[in-house]
Amino acid sequence: MTHLKRLTLAFLCLLLWTRSGMGQPAEATLEQLEEQVIRQATDSVAPSVIRIETIGGLEKVGEVLLSDGPTTGLAVSEDGYILSSAFNFVGQPTSILVTTPSGKRAAAQIVARDRSRMLVLLKANSDETFPVAPLVPRDQLQVGQWSIALGRTLARDSVNVSVGIVSATNRIWGKAIQTDSKISPANYGGPLIDIQGRVIGILVPLSPQGQGNELAGADWYDSGIGFAIPLVEILPYLDQLKAGQDLHAGILGVTLKGKDIYADPPVVAAVQPKSPAAEAGIKPADKIIQINGHAISRHAQLKHALGPLYAGDEIQLVIMREGTQIETTATLTDKLTAFEQPFLGILPLRGADAVTVRHVYADSPAAAAGLQAGDRITAVGDQQPGSADELRIQLANYEIGDEVSLTISRQGAEQQLKATLGQLPVEIPDSLPAASVAGAEEDPQKPATGKVEIKLPEEQNECTAYVPDSYHSDVAHGLVVWLHAPGAYNVDQQIMAWKSACESQQLILLAPSAADPDRWDPSEVDVLRTMIEEVLASYNIDRSRVVVMGHQAGASIAYLLAFAHRDLVRGLVPTDAAMPRVTAVKPNDPVERLSIYSITPRDSRLKTAIEARLKQLEQMKYPLQRVEIASPQGRLNADERGRLLRWIDSLDML
Amino acid sequence: MPTRCQTIGQLFSLSRSLLVAGCLVILGSLVQPVQAQKLSQVVLGVQPKMVKVYGAGGLQGLESYQSGFLVSAEGHVLTVWSYVLDTDLVTTVLDDGRRFQATLVGADPRLEIAVLKIDTEGLAFFDREAAVELRSGSRVLAFSNLYGIASGDEPASLLHGVVAARTTLAARRGAFQTPYKGPVYILDAITNNPGAPGGVLTNQQGQLAGLLGKELRDSRTNTWLNFAIPMSELNSSIDDIIAGKTRPRSEDPDAQRPDQPHSLARLGLVMVPELLSKTPPFVDAIRRGSVAEKAGLRADDLVLFVADRLIPSCQALRQELGFIDRIDEVRLVVQRGEDLLEIVLPGQP
Repeated sequence: MTHLKRLTLAFLCLLLWTRSGMGQPAEATLEQLEEQVIRQATDSVAPSVIRIETIGGLEKVGEVLLSDGPTTGLAVSEDGYILSSAFNFVGQPTSILVTTPSGKRAAAQIVARDRSRMLVLLKANSDETFPVAPLVPRDQLQVGQWSIALGRTLARDSVNVSVGIVSATNRIWGKAIQTDSKISPANYGGPLIDIQGRVIGILVPLSPQGQGNELAGADWYDSGIGFAIPLVEILPYLDQLKAGQDLHAGILGVTLKGKDIYADPPVVAAVQPKSPAAEAGIKPADKIIQINGHAISRHAQLKHALGPLYAGDEIQLVIMREGTQIETTATLTDKLTAFEQPFLGILPLRGADAVTVRHVYADSPAAAAGLQAGDRITAVGDQQPGSADELRIQLANYEIGDEVSLTISRQGAEQQLKATLGQLPVEIPDSLPAASVAGAEEDPQKPATGKVEIKLPEEQNECTAYVPDSYHSDVAHGLVVWLHAPGAYNVDQQIMAWKSACESQQLILLAPSAADPDRWDPSEVDVLRTMIEEVLASYNIDRSRVVVMGHQAGASIAYLLAFAHRDLVRGLVPTDAAMPRVTAVKPNDPVERLSIYSITPRDSRLKTAIEARLKQLEQMKYPLQRVEIASPQGRLNADERGRLLRWIDSLDML
Repeated sequence: MPTRCQTIGQLFSLSRSLLVAGCLVILGSLVQPVQAQKLSQVVLGVQPKMVKVYGAGGLQGLESYQSGFLVSAEGHVLTVWSYVLDTDLVTTVLDDGRRFQATLVGADPRLEIAVLKIDTEGLAFFDREAAVELRSGSRVLAFSNLYGIASGDEPASLLHGVVAARTTLAARRGAFQTPYKGPVYILDAITNNPGAPGGVLTNQQGQLAGLLGKELRDSRTNTWLNFAIPMSELNSSIDDIIAGKTRPRSEDPDAQRPDQPHSLARLGLVMVPELLSKTPPFVDAIRRGSVAEKAGLRADDLVLFVADRLIPSCQALRQELGFIDRIDEVRLVVQRGEDLLEIVLPGQP
């Protein structure tokens, strides 16, 4: 018998005993006893479960129709501080009212927010004493134990109850407890309690993908997957929240080597300058083996260890460097200074075994250092790049203005050069030399070329790809995804327009259509990703040249696609569309690069809006090209087209 | 036997093995005389009273089936009033697989219930007189032919859960598109699925408690609501239907509207311009000498409640005033700065 069962049984016995002692008939089954205990637990916490009502505010956020019914909060201190779910206030209400323990209503204000766990702290304007319920420590929780979700929305004078079990004790990167109690707007913000009437956590909608979005996870309501934020982990920060300071997720500032977060060891690929990791003395090639006493051996474990932490938390790190363990501490931050990509001034040759210089930009740091086309870069500082991709990550450890020492090999002779890294150029070269070492031999596994239909079962979208006849499996091709403007759309015309560029620049064109030709739906972003992955699975694609282009509403979807799938998209070419407000824009990232080439017709109505949103991206240090064209339909003339193609051809610049 | 424990702390402080052994003894000795049945027996007792109902539908996502249960020895079946019954050919299948053509005895559109009759006797049925009342937290069983998954002599599907709340659908005007506005049990079992309406809600002992309601979307939260109507709300109507008495037609909510209601203009209230669909009900100005001015309302007051009803927008305020007769007083709660004030606007004869 487990300890847990023993306690539950003991508790039931106690109850049974008191009841029989009170002279009541003892005709009770285990189910009835459980019901009584659940009710007792519910009744003991109910006075702390506060009804919240809001006035005014938005009716809809995105596609989601908001509730204007009552919501729930949990009193966490006797003087009227109440924790609730950020979901309940996403409509930015004009006024917030809470029902006090005596049944009166009092005005309340939002004091602070927890932007990592999506909670809100309210203060009621009342002199009454608010009852505070006891807590259960997180390490006492066990999967399978009873969990009771409470809200105060369906009736004023009683709490609404949903009974289930704890499904998992460590979810959403360590932030949440999972329950199969029915969790919905009827109890978001209320407590999840155990059978002894102790608070496990605050109920919130959460989704593993939706960091920072109040509505994320709300579509899982009543599904048997619900989340509660452990209250014991919030209370240490209560004073900070009471003082009006928001809590943010803590960031360390390292990029790890490898892509598979469940398999790859946490070896540092890049340390962002001025980040907590940099201040803690972490260097590229260090392996993180411990955080706050937790052993770490894979990416996912690092994410788990950092997930529950806040900006300002100090962490103990143990790293392995060249066989020696080093202990250090870092203070996490909420925001890294926007990363501005440093520029060496070369284009690498594609398909080469080592980093071979294809082109040296005029007046660039590389040119000043004396680099020449054909040179092989064998070392940067003390690191040896095996490929252009590795060199890109190694350069991310430097800032603009840093001096780097380069070891190069020129015609078999080794040389040392020094270059001072500069800013990315705005100019696009007038001409570029051939980019790759072509596969000379016959292609034994040549897949389908020409116009290729890509079928996705279960999706209505049609999707056509154009693969140039010159395609060779040894040569990595760029991928251009074209998203049409709403309305009639001729895919063959689009292919005709791109055919010669696909041949000469080694590009594959992917031209999907919207499920409804007259409109794109934001949910189609995921379909588009699946289509791109289909192409990646069948063809040799140069991951540094995956570009999403779009016109008008197609460009809005292109923005959503590019920012939602930063691991995939490297170039974004929106024509005549401003970035949608719902786009989840994170600051520029040293490893998951994204460059933007915005095209605006001279007479576009959207000119002001486009520019306003581009300014935001510029502040976040995204490499940005602004192009104005004459055609109101967004068509490029030969010169404009050539320039765009050279921009795509130079997306892998270093 | 150990001595009687007063607190959990004392209980936990006892030796664990002794405690467990002791508790088992107590539990055993107390449960021994119990008459209550095991859950599996309870279920076996309920299933023969369940009926699968088949009728019109089957097109455009409208399912052609629902649930029902026997409420008399003469073959009366209680179910929900829906398009499924909108045909001359309603077929019922009993728990033992027997198939009967059913006749519609009558319906109550206000409660959205109907009573069918099948021509056989001696069936197991729920005794409506013995129906139990439940409260928030009560553990319940819900029997229904959810998704039409049971056919022939297959037993109805069983869900379990608790009563999340006992409340009324009318508590929030406009939140629900349903003619029934009375008390309901909100459930945490997911009964809001095709086929479930007309099923039975019982307590853990299989005693009749309510009728599973039709699919209902809460238009304010955009979420589906799982609910059952308590039998006490249905019994008199069922009696009337079986006795052949006609029931009143669905009540028109507009019929409750007074002929001469209050209006903002007559009260002397000018609200802020309605630029949004949910413009917060701030007072923009008060007409000189008006009822509102005399009652002490001021510009910039935010109207929170009329009577006890929350007013989330200017539009809601206008609507709510339309339900109050001009001769009755209007009780407001307004927010002025941080303070909540109660203000009564007298009726105007």
